Amino acid sequence: MKKFLAMLLAIVAVLGLSACGKDDGLTMWCIATKSDSNRHSYEAAIADMEKKYPDTKLNWEAIENETYKQKIKAAVSGNNMPDIFFTWSCAFLGDFVKEDKVYCLDEAYKGFADKLPEKMCKNTTYNGKKYGVPLTMNIVGLFANLDILKEVGYDDVPATYEELIECCNKLVAAGKIPFGCAGKETWCVTEYLESIIEKSIGAKALDDIFMNGATWDNQDVAKAVDIFQEMIKNGYFDPDGISLGNDDVKANFMAGKYAFYMNGTWNCGEFAGKEGFNVKVAEFPVIDSSKAKLGQLIGGPSDTLAVAKSAKDAENTAKYTLELGQLICKYGYLDGCGLPAWTVDYNADSVNALTKSVAEIVAKSDYMVLFGDTAMPADEAGKYLEQVAKVYGGEVDGAGFIAALKAAIR
Amino acid sequence: MATKKSYNYDQYQVRKTKRWVNVVVTIVLVIWAVINLYPLYWMLAFSLKDNDQILVTNRFGLPKGLPSEWIWSNYKEAMNTGPIGKFFLNSIIITGATIILTTLAAMMASYAITRIRWRGSEAMNRIFMLGITIPIQASIIPVYLVVSKLQLINTPIALIIPYSAFALAMALLICTGFMTQIPKELDEAAYIDGCGRSKVFFTVILPLMKPAVATTAIYTFLQCWNELMFAQTFMTGLKSMTLPAGMAQLFGSHTTQWGPIGAALVIATFPTILFYVLFSRRIQDSFIAGAVKG
Amino acid sequence: MFGRGHFSLGRQSIMKRKKLDGITIFLFLLPALVLFIGILAAPLISSVVNSFYQYKGFGSKTWLGWDNYKRLFDKNQIPFWDSVVHAFILAGFSVFLQLPLALGLALLLGRGIKGERFLLSVNFLPVLISTVVIGQLWLKVFHPEGLVNSLLRVVGYLKEGDKNIQWLGDGQGKLLWACFIPMLWQYVGYHMLLMYAGVKSVPPELREAAKIDGATDWQVDRFVVIPSMKQILKVSVIFAVTGSLKSYDLIRIMATLQTKEASVPSTILMDYMTLRGEYGVASAVAVLLILLCFFFAILISAAFKERD
Repeated sequence: MKKFLAMLLAIVAVLGLSACGKDDGLTMWCIATKSDSNRHSYEAAIADMEKKYPDTKLNWEAIENETYKQKIKAAVSGNNMPDIFFTWSCAFLGDFVKEDKVYCLDEAYKGFADKLPEKMCKNTTYNGKKYGVPLTMNIVGLFANLDILKEVGYDDVPATYEELIECCNKLVAAGKIPFGCAGKETWCVTEYLESIIEKSIGAKALDDIFMNGATWDNQDVAKAVDIFQEMIKNGYFDPDGISLGNDDVKANFMAGKYAFYMNGTWNCGEFAGKEGFNVKVAEFPVIDSSKAKLGQLIGGPSDTLAVAKSAKDAENTAKYTLELGQLICKYGYLDGCGLPAWTVDYNADSVNALTKSVAEIVAKSDYMVLFGDTAMPADEAGKYLEQVAKVYGGEVDGAGFIAALKAAIR
Repeated sequence: MATKKSYNYDQYQVRKTKRWVNVVVTIVLVIWAVINLYPLYWMLAFSLKDNDQILVTNRFGLPKGLPSEWIWSNYKEAMNTGPIGKFFLNSIIITGATIILTTLAAMMASYAITRIRWRGSEAMNRIFMLGITIPIQASIIPVYLVVSKLQLINTPIALIIPYSAFALAMALLICTGFMTQIPKELDEAAYIDGCGRSKVFFTVILPLMKPAVATTAIYTFLQCWNELMFAQTFMTGLKSMTLPAGMAQLFGSHTTQWGPIGAALVIATFPTILFYVLFSRRIQDSFIAGAVKG
Repeated sequence: MFGRGHFSLGRQSIMKRKKLDGITIFLFLLPALVLFIGILAAPLISSVVNSFYQYKGFGSKTWLGWDNYKRLFDKNQIPFWDSVVHAFILAGFSVFLQLPLALGLALLLGRGIKGERFLLSVNFLPVLISTVVIGQLWLKVFHPEGLVNSLLRVVGYLKEGDKNIQWLGDGQGKLLWACFIPMLWQYVGYHMLLMYAGVKSVPPELREAAKIDGATDWQVDRFVVIPSMKQILKVSVIFAVTGSLKSYDLIRIMATLQTKEASVPSTILMDYMTLRGEYGVASAVAVLLILLCFFFAILISAAFKERD
């Protein structure tokens, strides 16, 4: 027993030692974990900031995405927020703003207005006040494996919807699988479904449904859902996709199993970096040209940094955060992790070809609708994803989809 | 246990058990053992591969490629997540302290509940049983609030106390189970000799509880060694991370490179297995040591 | 009462003894009580309270009354009932398949066969390996081009040109089994070790005596060993049932939180808490889960007591 107690005492002593010592300086939480594609841009930006402000020490930590959502909420309810924190735009940050936990950036923004276009702050502006520093942004792109397209006689990505369908038919006839889509991760299904809906009903109509309180009871949405399901029925999608996660599907695409893969443009860096992978990125073609047109995209600034109201020396921290965000954005763009939300005032020639072509697509675009699950409040997003999963699983058709969402949301 | 006596024993066994039954039993046991060993091999195999092999070309880690194709850099990457030695130390301190605290608290409580008769002991036992029922996922925010009110966030105690609390009910169940099997006559004899309650507990009961201690310790270990949610929520900064929290940094938000994760899991698991292999004889012996039957 | 040896003591000393006992009981219970009240009371109380509110996990709350519970029991809104049924199925298999298997192994190894210790250690291994590894491995087993489908092709159940069977998401409940099998398998070793401790605590002399009396191995197990393992069996059954009702980790890896096919109460809880930010609903799930687990824990304890 004495041994036991001695051990206990020893442990308590060790605990006492390791417990003390809180560091000074700013704290930041983000989700750029070691293997995240954004990791390098954070590291480079922070190194730059430390060189510029040697007196300000930034203690930062990256937490895995899903746990992070828990951790930041727990910290908010326990009043233990870090000074700077990563957040998604629209609803996620909006909840914290509503609880008056976030520091308003209007004052600090004045010094950066020439570098950060007003419209990039749209998703983090609440009641006319700015609360977020946008980083990189991403859109949904149609990635195409040109080597596989060549086998069925295409040198480029089909430009119209009719050509795309024809191409898919040829692929299927040749025993190739046109699309891969991870059914185990519903957000991957939305990458397809949202693009199809947008190119059928138009960006404005979709945006109104996502963000501005328009009803889901829209026959055109139902039609678009039916188009998606018909594509599945026609064998355009890998039937195994329903059991796969995004990592599997992406690995399959990179291994040449699919001709197309619709996903976020954060993949550009990885695809461009793969030796001998002949891939191109394009916009999903227009389905109903009376309502939609090219240049209407899914995506927009979502990754954001915000400053806690409880931050030390909040106004200076806000300026620091804006500057840091600008740098993260720059390095992120140079790494091919996404497009810049901030004005490019540096040499960006080294950016990979894929990201460059995405930049061209975005430059020509005139309307971006944010990813549905980011745009909607969390509870609505949950109901929405639930129905999207059912669409992919063939459990509901277009009419069922809009009826269910009309009942559950509007 | 090969004593002289076992001669008889074997004779009976040979007569009663048919040969083919033994053969079938052996085959089944061997197959079962292989199934149980395979994950270990698979983990090793995938720690040396890249996503293409893990996800597409060689999902079962068959020994296809040459050793020169093994990707040892996965290990380098896993080691680069931070001060891995410190992660280890944190995990060992936290798990060790949790095991000690849980075992001690459970032993003492089960003594009070099973060996001393008092009104309400049964009810007390049931209240403690509530601990088994609480889903740990629902507890993060409430427990976080308690821990942060006590100013313990980011100290090892922030994990030790909740871990112990959540392991307590099961530990208590195990301990009371073993303790009720110890014949009452033993304490009574000690009381007659003039011993007090605590002396009886420490000198008579505890030494007989070795199998319970081993079982509780194993249970508690399994509960907290791989725990991630509390560890990530209550601890901030590389210095105070536990091993699983440190390794979780390898999961990316859009894509995950599985190779380094495999390497990290090997790093995190092998000490456990090594420890178990080294001490399993001890652990198993302690089960037998407790064999006192009236 | 403190044993028959004491009734020679006078009334006064009994009183004194009782008072002393009160203090002793308190002191012995203290560490457990501190842990219980300090940590476990918080989630218990907050779950009950929050289950009546609309709450995001931080900030303001809105009183809802029984609405969260009503939503749980409305099939069109939340598939809570299905998830409970799934958990019951798992618990059933756990008690009637996993535990007997573990018991069989423990008894077999306890007889002292060749390689007893080696097998004991090997069978315990899966418990020591991280759930992430176990989950990923079984995902490969049930992968559309994985082990199961390959075997089915080899034996000719799946013909050339037949589509792969989607074990992980055909929408018809196969996923449930794909999740349950590894869960049941992984913990066989744990129960086996627990029971092995019980088997080994039967004195060898007793076993031998029974054998000399002409009992077969099976009879020894049935009439000597198993009856002495009652307490351990009780622990195992409670562990298996509450563990099944609260199961989460492996399902989280093998299915998504939103998959209804393989939903269990804890996946619904996490879905509503983390993804949908509906803390009130999550708390209501937690409350029902606590009640359910508690009911079964007491029921099992009582069942084992009955047989005394």
